[in-house]
Amino acid sequence: MEFLLEINVEEMPPSHVRTAVEDLKEKFERELTAAKIPAKGLRTLSTCRRLVVVADLPEGQEAREEVVTGPPKAVAFAADGSPTPAASGFARSRGVDVAQLVVIKTEKGEYVGFKKMATGKSSAEILVQMIPRILGSLSFPKMMRWGTGQFRFSRPIRNILCLLNGTGLAFEIEGLRAGETTTGHKIRSPKLIRPTSFENYSRALEDNLVIIDHEKRKKRILDQFAVLLEPLRAQLYPDPELLDKLANDVECPFAFVGSIPESYLELPLEILSTAMREGQKLFSVVREKKQLPYFLGVADAPGDAKGLIRKGNERVLKARLEDAKFFWEHDRKVSLKKRAPALKHVVFQEKLGTYEDKTQRLKKIAAYLWAKLAEPRGDKDVILAAELCKADLVTDMVREFPSLQGRVGGLYAQAEDLPAGVGRAIYEHYQPQSLEDESPSTLGGAVLSIADKLDSIVGVVGVGIQTTGSSDPFGLRRNAQGICKVILDKKLNFTFLRLLDRTIASYGEKLKLPKTEIVGYCREFFANRLRYLFERQGFRYDLVNAALGAGLENLYHSYLRVKALDALKASSQFEPFILMAKRVNNIISGQPAASLNIDLLAEKEERDLQAMFAIVKENVGPMIAKGDYTQAQMMVFRLQPGLNNFFDRVLVMAEDKKLRKNRLALLQAISRILIQMADYSQVVI
Amino acid sequence: MSLQNLIMSLQRFWADQGCYLAPSYDLEVGAGTMTPDTFFRVLDKRPWKVAYVQPSRRPTDGRYGDNPNRVQKHYQFQVIMKPSPADIQKTYIDSLIALGIRLEDHDLRFDEDDWESPTIGAWGVGWQVMLDGLEITQFTYFQQAGGLEVFPIPAEITYGLERLEMFLEEKDDIYDLKWSEDVSYRDLRLEEERQFSEFNFNQASIQGLRSAFGLAEKEAAQLAGKNLLLPAYDMCLKCSHYFNLLDSRGAISVTERVKMIAQIRALVSQVAAKYAGVEVKL
Repeated sequence: MEFLLEINVEEMPPSHVRTAVEDLKEKFERELTAAKIPAKGLRTLSTCRRLVVVADLPEGQEAREEVVTGPPKAVAFAADGSPTPAASGFARSRGVDVAQLVVIKTEKGEYVGFKKMATGKSSAEILVQMIPRILGSLSFPKMMRWGTGQFRFSRPIRNILCLLNGTGLAFEIEGLRAGETTTGHKIRSPKLIRPTSFENYSRALEDNLVIIDHEKRKKRILDQFAVLLEPLRAQLYPDPELLDKLANDVECPFAFVGSIPESYLELPLEILSTAMREGQKLFSVVREKKQLPYFLGVADAPGDAKGLIRKGNERVLKARLEDAKFFWEHDRKVSLKKRAPALKHVVFQEKLGTYEDKTQRLKKIAAYLWAKLAEPRGDKDVILAAELCKADLVTDMVREFPSLQGRVGGLYAQAEDLPAGVGRAIYEHYQPQSLEDESPSTLGGAVLSIADKLDSIVGVVGVGIQTTGSSDPFGLRRNAQGICKVILDKKLNFTFLRLLDRTIASYGEKLKLPKTEIVGYCREFFANRLRYLFERQGFRYDLVNAALGAGLENLYHSYLRVKALDALKASSQFEPFILMAKRVNNIISGQPAASLNIDLLAEKEERDLQAMFAIVKENVGPMIAKGDYTQAQMMVFRLQPGLNNFFDRVLVMAEDKKLRKNRLALLQAISRILIQMADYSQVVI
Repeated sequence: MSLQNLIMSLQRFWADQGCYLAPSYDLEVGAGTMTPDTFFRVLDKRPWKVAYVQPSRRPTDGRYGDNPNRVQKHYQFQVIMKPSPADIQKTYIDSLIALGIRLEDHDLRFDEDDWESPTIGAWGVGWQVMLDGLEITQFTYFQQAGGLEVFPIPAEITYGLERLEMFLEEKDDIYDLKWSEDVSYRDLRLEEERQFSEFNFNQASIQGLRSAFGLAEKEAAQLAGKNLLLPAYDMCLKCSHYFNLLDSRGAISVTERVKMIAQIRALVSQVAAKYAGVEVKL
């Protein structure tokens, strides 16, 4: 039987719709299965005004045999086997003939009773209970009430259509009764629709200007865009997020092209596209990354025969671009250098002072990191970039378009004829904003990006603000992830813990927590971010743990370590060596550190092992320094035969205390080399 | 079309929906939401329907009359329907049709935009209503005011009169609008914009505003203590306006801003709590 449910809601935000369709699918599937009426082909569809569930359901629960037990056999039958009053009374009360009673064996003994076929509940009966319960359990980031109700939802529910096998189901939500009708497009075709199946429901909706499938709307928008762009020989300035939002916001997508007066085209593409996107949700049209005098828009309409929609949008956009142009010209009258002092009035974080304070720290942190990664004398540009990178916070452009922070500063720096490296570093220093975003393209940008983010993390952690569960008000997780991504993307090879020390030091007396606590927290925090990133790239979790167990001195090396483990995991030497490494770890665990005395090595096997180890150690050092962990690990694999012989023939825990200590010392020395590669005890075999 | 025709049409339309047509409130406010006809009436449990024009002052939006879209004072048409009727969106759409807008030629959209006013401790859920990309209305289901949950839930509809009129007259410059057949927006408002921009940005006495803020704040607290909630609330509105002027004078630092907003909100919340606690009823 076909089940069709449509909840009509006033316009919901895209994020609410996304979670609602996922939750509805999951909850209906789970509850229907639990109610023993499992759904086939359950799917959910949506527009900003409709949430739809459609599925194929059985008519009801299957009939099943039920056992009804009565009195114990001993009580029910007399010695001659005839039924006692207890038996006949039981039979009467259940409406069966006493002759139908049989003996039923249970764990507690023998009873009399009878078997009957129980008819299950119908799907309709189950659904009228289930639907209100599921709708009441949906949760949204922000919930509201309306009218005189106490029900909370994303936006007010205004109509419910619910059909099972073409007929309506009777239930209520906050006084709103489910019915058998819905309506078409709210403005353009608000006709009453009385469907009998999903097939004629979705067709009737299309006839009345509603496409119920999100992906289909998205495709229609893209198809229409392609048709409009072709004669212009142009491309869309891509913006998947905006596209997704529009596909949600309109039930009847209609794409149109509008024009932009040439006089605004001198504005940078970033500013033009942001002015178009924010507020008006228009797309920039480009050819070879240059803005053309056009934009694309999407209306919730079947067409624009009189061109009024296009004209209206053009007029509003012109006013917005006029503002942007005014800011662009006005802002540049004051150089970034002259603006920077105003940062002393802009608070970075209440307990951490102003953006001027932050700028001073960034200069130090960036200079330090630059010196670790490049020619120290070439640090002039990156220090100037650090000094100016926050100055755009006090421009009108960033006040109007906060999402352009950094990029606006970079563009202004460029327009001011500051060195290209300075502008680039400023432009890129908020990147990457997400894991999908690109890392800075220049080393200066990467250095400033890391410095800025680490400064924020250390500061916020240092004043005792904890990031827990879903609460991350300062975006620390995003910042830490950004740092990791930049380091991996740009292959930045430096001692992270020293940079952390430097950053903490740059705060002077401002931080509340002791340094060790901050470092401990940050280690854990970054280890977790790296773990997430590595596992996201498909590395085995135990290999990730093994690599991270080798320490966080150098984050890029953590990546090289897990990569090496991954490359070697299938080799025949891998597993035996892991077992051996675990054995070494076990035997030395809890033993005091000892130093090796070569003269005390008595047996051949231990002398051989020591000799091999000396060679391995000498070779492995430079390999690790270069970050070639695959070679380094293959080198330590060579210890395997020596270790085998050693464990076979030599008693580590020898009676002689001196010998024992010395043998343990040899194993400890080997272990110290191994841990530079990975914490092998974390590898699961 | 003219602004006064627009106002009369909206008044007629909402009077037909049962709204009481209130006169504009006689204090400086940043939005129609802040006047007692909205603020107090959404706090109690009784039904309430009101519509009124409210001049709204936002000193920092002044542009000396040079910008065709921004002014430091504009006019809002404010509607409160409490409890929100089930067909309130449709009624709103009908109001646009009543203005002669042929919606079959346009793109009308309800775009997510949740409203909040930290100063009066109020927030709601709703949309900005976009007509061919132009924001013409803020549509909100109030959830909280004065820091209190409201019940029943009111629908608040705030039309931006100049925006709507620019759409109707197809004008790009606010000053080209007609107030009546013979009087333009320019005739009525241009000099006012020039003079008040100068006042807001350069002349208003910072010291005077600070002490006025202090006095009004003190008086609000005293009046609230005596259960004189309406005058107490008036004092809060004065605080809010002085704060806005200090802001446009560039006299408020970021931390001070947070502090002053919190001060006003605390007073407003105190007034709201007393009002909702049935100590006083309008």
